[in-house]
Amino acid sequence: MGREVAESCIDGVIIEMVSAYGRRFYATKPELAAHRIEAIGYQVGHQLIERYTMERPRFNDHLEVIKFICKDFWQELFKKQIDNLKTNHKGTFVLQDNNFRWLTRISIDPSSDNNDGSQGSSSEATNLLLYFPCGIIRGALSNLGIPCAVSADSSNLPFCSFMVRIKA
Amino acid sequence: MQFFSGSSVVDVSLSPTAPPGTATGHAGNNANVLYIFNRNGICLLYREWHRLLRTLDASQDQKLMFGLLFSLRSFTAKMDPVSADKGNLGVPLLPGQGCSFYSFRTNTYKLSFMESPSGIKLILITHPKTGDHRESLKHIYNLYVEYVVKNPLYVTGTPIKSELFTTNLDQYVKTLI
Repeated sequence: MGREVAESCIDGVIIEMVSAYGRRFYATKPELAAHRIEAIGYQVGHQLIERYTMERPRFNDHLEVIKFICKDFWQELFKKQIDNLKTNHKGTFVLQDNNFRWLTRISIDPSSDNNDGSQGSSSEATNLLLYFPCGIIRGALSNLGIPCAVSADSSNLPFCSFMVRIKA
Repeated sequence: MQFFSGSSVVDVSLSPTAPPGTATGHAGNNANVLYIFNRNGICLLYREWHRLLRTLDASQDQKLMFGLLFSLRSFTAKMDPVSADKGNLGVPLLPGQGCSFYSFRTNTYKLSFMESPSGIKLILITHPKTGDHRESLKHIYNLYVEYVVKNPLYVTGTPIKSELFTTNLDQYVKTLI
């Protein structure tokens, strides 16, 4: 326990993975690339949640699980907690992160605003990148016995929100 | 020897802590011009804050600058009275070889130069009374690594278009002496 890796290495691996799936393997089929990246995230979340809930007692209800994700899980992964949690008490939760760690360095080219092609591709790349944390959340929740669907919204970088819909 | 595989101009008007400096002199920015070249001679960034005289068009200007530095490095390495290594004249130098030239000064400006081990060359032109800018260039290189290299949307070898980078760069340059 306690071996460490430089954060730049993790950043590099994630960037390259998203770019490899998005531009090389499934360049013509972005939905498949998104699916793959989400599946990778699912596995990662699945395994990580085992580690981080090792010593904890069982959770009583869904809200406690989501609060655990927002506080401890996010703290372990991104060194900060989720800034804002909203719920409609019917199985939908919105997790908002004001400064999502993996988006802090993305910067859209200002002078290509009138060129729809490249603007589209930069937001596409950001969306592909965001499928990975969505998968992580979905994997974590499903290993705790809560099947769900997760989607992300990042209209305002680096502010990012994840919507979790629990399947009844 | 063909070095110029194509250059294009970028005309665009998290950070680590900056070395201390106070803003004096010209209103706002204290540096005049900044160039960033990569190992192949492609100009990744050309940024000017205060340039009165423009003699050549942009791509000629950049080729001239790159050529000058290439030759200057060769020249300083050959004329070095201290180094024992007498390589052949005209062979391109690797980034670490030879003594490292870092600035020259005229009566109207001072040009500071830094080359990273990966071949990224930073050239900063400032007013002639500035001190040594090696630390500042290191800081700018740090900004480059943080905001450009680590940007998932950046393709290496293409001109830099990152807004975050240019904003931070402008802010930092304002604090230079």
